[in-house]
Amino acid sequence: MAIHEILIQQLFNGLLIGSFYGLVAIGYSMVYGIIKLLNFAHGDIYMLGAFSGLVFLSIVAPTIGAGWGSLILGMLISMLLVGLVGVFIQRVAYRPMLKAPRLSILITALAVSMILYNTIMLLSSGRFLPFRTEISTESFFLGPLRLTETRVVLIVAAFALMFIMHMFITKTMYGKAMRAISLDRDTCQLMGIDVYKIIALTFFVGSALAAAAGIMAGVYYGTIHFYMGFLIGLKAFTAAVIGGIGIIPGAMLGGLLLGLLEAFGTQIPFIGTVWKDVFSFAFLILFLIFKPNGLLGRSESERM
Amino acid sequence: MFNLKTHWLLLLVAVLFAFAAFGCGEEAADPVDDDPAEDPADEAEFEGEVLIGIMVPTTGSEAADGTDMENAALLAVEEINEAGGVMGHRVITTTGDDGCDPSMATAAASQLVSEEVVALVGGYCSGATLPTLAIYGEAGIPFVIAASNATSLIDENPGWGFMINSTGLDQAATAVAKFQELGVETIGVMDSGDAYSADLKEQTILQWEEAGYEVVADDTVQRGEVDFSAFVTTIMSTQPDGIYWTGYQAEGALLIRQLREGGYEGVIMVGDGSSAQELIDLAGDEAEGVLCTGPPLTDFLPAAQNFIQRYEESFPREPGAYAALTYDAARLLFDAMERAGSFDSAEIRDALEATDGFEGLAGPISFTDQNTLARSNFVILEARDGRWALVE
Amino acid sequence: MADINKKAKTTNPFESIIEALFVFFEKKINMYAFIVLAVGFLVVFPNVSSRFTQEIMTNLFFYVVVCLGLNIIVGYAGLLHLGYAAFFAVGAYTTGILSSRMGMDFWLTIPFSIVAAVIAGLAIGFPTLRLRGDYLAIVTLGFGEITRLTIRNLDITGGAIGLIGIQRPVLFGITLNQITHFYYMFFILAIIAIIVSYRLENSRMGRAWEYIREDEDAAAAMGINVVTTRLYAFIIGSSFGAVGGSFFAAKMTAISPDSFMFIHSVMFLMAVVLGGMGKIPGVVLGSMLVVLIPEVARGIGPYRLLIFGFLLLIIMLYRPQGIWPDKPAISAKE
Repeated sequence: MAIHEILIQQLFNGLLIGSFYGLVAIGYSMVYGIIKLLNFAHGDIYMLGAFSGLVFLSIVAPTIGAGWGSLILGMLISMLLVGLVGVFIQRVAYRPMLKAPRLSILITALAVSMILYNTIMLLSSGRFLPFRTEISTESFFLGPLRLTETRVVLIVAAFALMFIMHMFITKTMYGKAMRAISLDRDTCQLMGIDVYKIIALTFFVGSALAAAAGIMAGVYYGTIHFYMGFLIGLKAFTAAVIGGIGIIPGAMLGGLLLGLLEAFGTQIPFIGTVWKDVFSFAFLILFLIFKPNGLLGRSESERM
Repeated sequence: MFNLKTHWLLLLVAVLFAFAAFGCGEEAADPVDDDPAEDPADEAEFEGEVLIGIMVPTTGSEAADGTDMENAALLAVEEINEAGGVMGHRVITTTGDDGCDPSMATAAASQLVSEEVVALVGGYCSGATLPTLAIYGEAGIPFVIAASNATSLIDENPGWGFMINSTGLDQAATAVAKFQELGVETIGVMDSGDAYSADLKEQTILQWEEAGYEVVADDTVQRGEVDFSAFVTTIMSTQPDGIYWTGYQAEGALLIRQLREGGYEGVIMVGDGSSAQELIDLAGDEAEGVLCTGPPLTDFLPAAQNFIQRYEESFPREPGAYAALTYDAARLLFDAMERAGSFDSAEIRDALEATDGFEGLAGPISFTDQNTLARSNFVILEARDGRWALVE
Repeated sequence: MADINKKAKTTNPFESIIEALFVFFEKKINMYAFIVLAVGFLVVFPNVSSRFTQEIMTNLFFYVVVCLGLNIIVGYAGLLHLGYAAFFAVGAYTTGILSSRMGMDFWLTIPFSIVAAVIAGLAIGFPTLRLRGDYLAIVTLGFGEITRLTIRNLDITGGAIGLIGIQRPVLFGITLNQITHFYYMFFILAIIAIIVSYRLENSRMGRAWEYIREDEDAAAAMGINVVTTRLYAFIIGSSFGAVGGSFFAAKMTAISPDSFMFIHSVMFLMAVVLGGMGKIPGVVLGSMLVVLIPEVARGIGPYRLLIFGFLLLIIMLYRPQGIWPDKPAISAKE
C-alpha cells in the first residue's frame, strides 16, 4: 500500500472511531456543563447500550432477522431504555448530591460505574459476547479506500445523530434551557425554569447517545464485553476536554480529532498500537496543562 | 420506625448479608462444587484420607477454562476413589482461586499451603502461576502444572513444579515449522501484553529469525482492546505471508475479523491461548481456515473418548481445551504417590522427577532436567465449519 | 446548642455503642490501655494463627500503609486521586529493577524507591497545579494508566511478564522469607505509617492541607502557597505508597503490571473513603473492610466488587464522611 493509501484509510478509520468518541463525549460534556459532574459512569452507559442492543436482537432475530431494520429498531429502543436508566441513576445517585462537595459526587459516580459494570459482568459471566448481525461484511473499494457496508452506514448514522444533537441544542427551548442552566443554575431556578426536569432530560439525551454509540460499536467490532465502557469513558473525556468541556460542538470536534490523532499516531513507527493509549492520555494531559478550555472554549476562570 | 438517615448502618449490614447469602446459595447450586468423592456409593473401606490442592482461576476472565480444569481434576479424583483410592486412602480436594491475577494467586497458594495439601495440580495463567512457584517451593509441595507454559516459569522453578504442557519454546517451534511447511516467508506477530503471550511471541520471533526469515510487523495490544485498525493497516502495507496471534481468544477473534474485513488473505495462526471454541464462535465465518498451535484437544485423542463421556455425564458442559491435561496431571500425581509408596511430599517429588513415560491421555509424560515435558505435545488445528479439526 | 445536640442523638443502637466507645476512650488511660492490648494481641497473633490468616493480616497492614499515603492526598489535602496504584507501582518496580537486575540489597533500594516516588509525585503534581477536583481526578487516572502501560511496554521493567527474582531482604543475618516475617515487617510499617500520619496531621503542613481542602481561595488569601502545599501532599503521599510497594515486591519476589491496575487504585480509594477520609482510624477501618469482607464472606467471590460498589454508593449518599464518626453526639450529614 502506498503512503497516500495508508493515509486515506487511516483518515476514514479515524473519523469512524472519532464519531463514536464524539457521541459519547457529547453526553459527558452536557452533563458536566449542566451540573459540573464528570460522570464517571457514562462509559458504562455506552456498554449498557451495547448489551441492551444484543438482548433485543437475540429476542427478535428469530422472527424478523438481524438485518438493518432490526438494528435500527433495536437502537431506538435501546436509546429509549438506556436513556431512562440514565435518568434513574441521576435521580437516585446524583440529584441528592447536587449540593455536596465535588469530591463526594465524583466518588458516587465511581460507585455507580462499579455497580453497572459488575452487574453486567455477573449477568454475562464475564464473557465476551458475539454481537451477531446478518449484515454482510464483504469489503469493497471506493477509490483507494477499503470499506464495508457496515462502516459506511455507521459513519453516516453517527454523523446524522451528531447533527440532530446540534440542532436540538441550538434550536429548541430545551437546548436553550440547558445552556442557560450551565451558566447559572440558581438564577434559572429563580426565573421559573424547572431545573430538575432539564437536568433529567440532559441525562436522558446524553445516555441515549452513548447507547447508540454502544450499539454501533457492537455492530462494528462484532463483540461486546462488560468492561468496554472503561476505556471509551476516558477517551470520551479526553475528547470533551480537547474540544472544550461543556460545549457540545466541542465534544463532537474533540471526538473526531482524537480519533484522527489516534489513527495517524499509531502509524508512526515508534508508537504503534502498543503505545496508542499512552499517546491519547498524553494529549489529555497536554491539553489540560496548556489549553484547559479546549479548542472551542472561552477563557473563563470559572471553568477551572 | 425505620429511618434511613439513622438506620443506614443496619441497612448496610442487611445488604451485605443478603449478598453473602445469595452468593453462598449460588455456590451451593453449582454442580461443580458437589464433591464427587462424597458419593455414598463408594463409602468403601478407606484407611484414611489424603488432601490434594487444585489451583485454577475460578473467577475472572479465564474462569471458564479454570472451572473446566477443576472439573477434570475432580473427575480423576472420583475415578481413583471408586477404584479404592490411592494406597487405600480416599482423595479429597480443596480448590484455591488464582483469578489469573498474581496477587490473588499468591493468596490462594498461601491458603493451600496452610491447609496442608500434600501436593497440587492446576496452573492456567502463567502470570499467576509464576509467583506461586516460590511459595510451593519454600513449603516443599509438589505442583503438577497442567496448562501454564511460559518459559519464564522454567527459570523460576525451585524444583517443585512440574510442567506437563509443552512450553512456549515448543509451541513456537511448532508454529515456525508449520509456517515453513506452508511456504510462508514473512510473518507479522502480535501479542496481548501479558506474561504468556509476550513470551510466546518473543520465542517465535527468535526462532523465525534464526531460521533465516523476516518478521515484518510486530505489535502489542492491551487485554480488552477492540480496535486493531492500526495493525491491520500496517499489515496491508507490509503484506506478510502469515500472521501469528499469541494472545487469548477474545481479542484474537476481533483481530481475525478485522484482518479479513480489511482484506488480508494470508495465513492466520493463533497460539494455544486462543484454542478455545469461543474463538471460532466470536469470529464467526471469518474464522474459517484459521490455524492454531493447540494443546491436544480431547476430541482428537483416541484414549480420551471414555473421558469425554464421563466428563459430560458429571458436568453440564463439554470438556475444554485443558481438561485432558489436568486429568492427566491428577492421575500422574496419584501414580507418583503409588510409586513413592508414601504421601511424603519430598518423596512424591522424587517420584515425579523419575516419571518415565507415564501414559496420559495427551501422550506419554517424562520430564527433562528442568521439569518440563520431554516432548512437544502441540498439534496443529484448523477451524473448519465452526469447530477445530486436527490437521495431519 | 444543647437542644441541637439532643436532637442529633439517635436511637440507633449502633450509633449509641459507638458514642459510648468514644466517651470511654476520651479518658486517655483507657485509650492507651486499649492500644497496648491491641498491639500486644497483634504481636503474638502469629503464634496462634494459620499461615493463611497471617497472609490476610499482612495484606491488611499493607493496605493500611498504602491507604494512609492516599489519605494524605485525598483526606488531608482534599485532592481526589484515582491513580494511586501508580505510586505503589513506582516503588515496587524501583526495588524490583534494582534488586533483580542489579542485585542491589533490598534495604538499599528503599531510598531509591522514595526518590522515585518524589519524582513521580512531582510529575503528577506539576501539570495538575491549577486544576480543580474533577479534572484532577481524571488526570490522575490518566497518569495511573500511563504509568501502568509504560511499565508494561518497556524492557527494563520486564514488559508484560514483569520482573522475577527479586531478592528477599536480609535482616541481622536472617533471610526474610516466611509469612511470619512479612507479617511483622508490615505490622511495623503500619505502625510507623500511623505515627507519621498522626504527626503530619497535627503539623503546620497538616493544617495547611486542611485549609486548602476546605477552601482553596481563602487559603491562598491567607498566604498559603497552594501550589507547594499540594506538591508536598503528592510527594509525601506517594512516598508511603512507594515504600509499601517496595516491601510488596520483596514479599512477592515477582511483580507484573497486572497488580497495578485501575481497580487497585479504586480499592485503595475505597478503603480511605469508606472508613472516613482524613481520619487515621477511619483509614484503618476502611482497610479492614476492604481486605476482610471478601475473606469473611467467602461465598461472595465474584460479587465482591458489586457489593463494594453498593457500599460505596450508600456511604456517599448517607454518610459521605465515612463510617468512622467525627465526634460524638453530632452526626453530620453535610
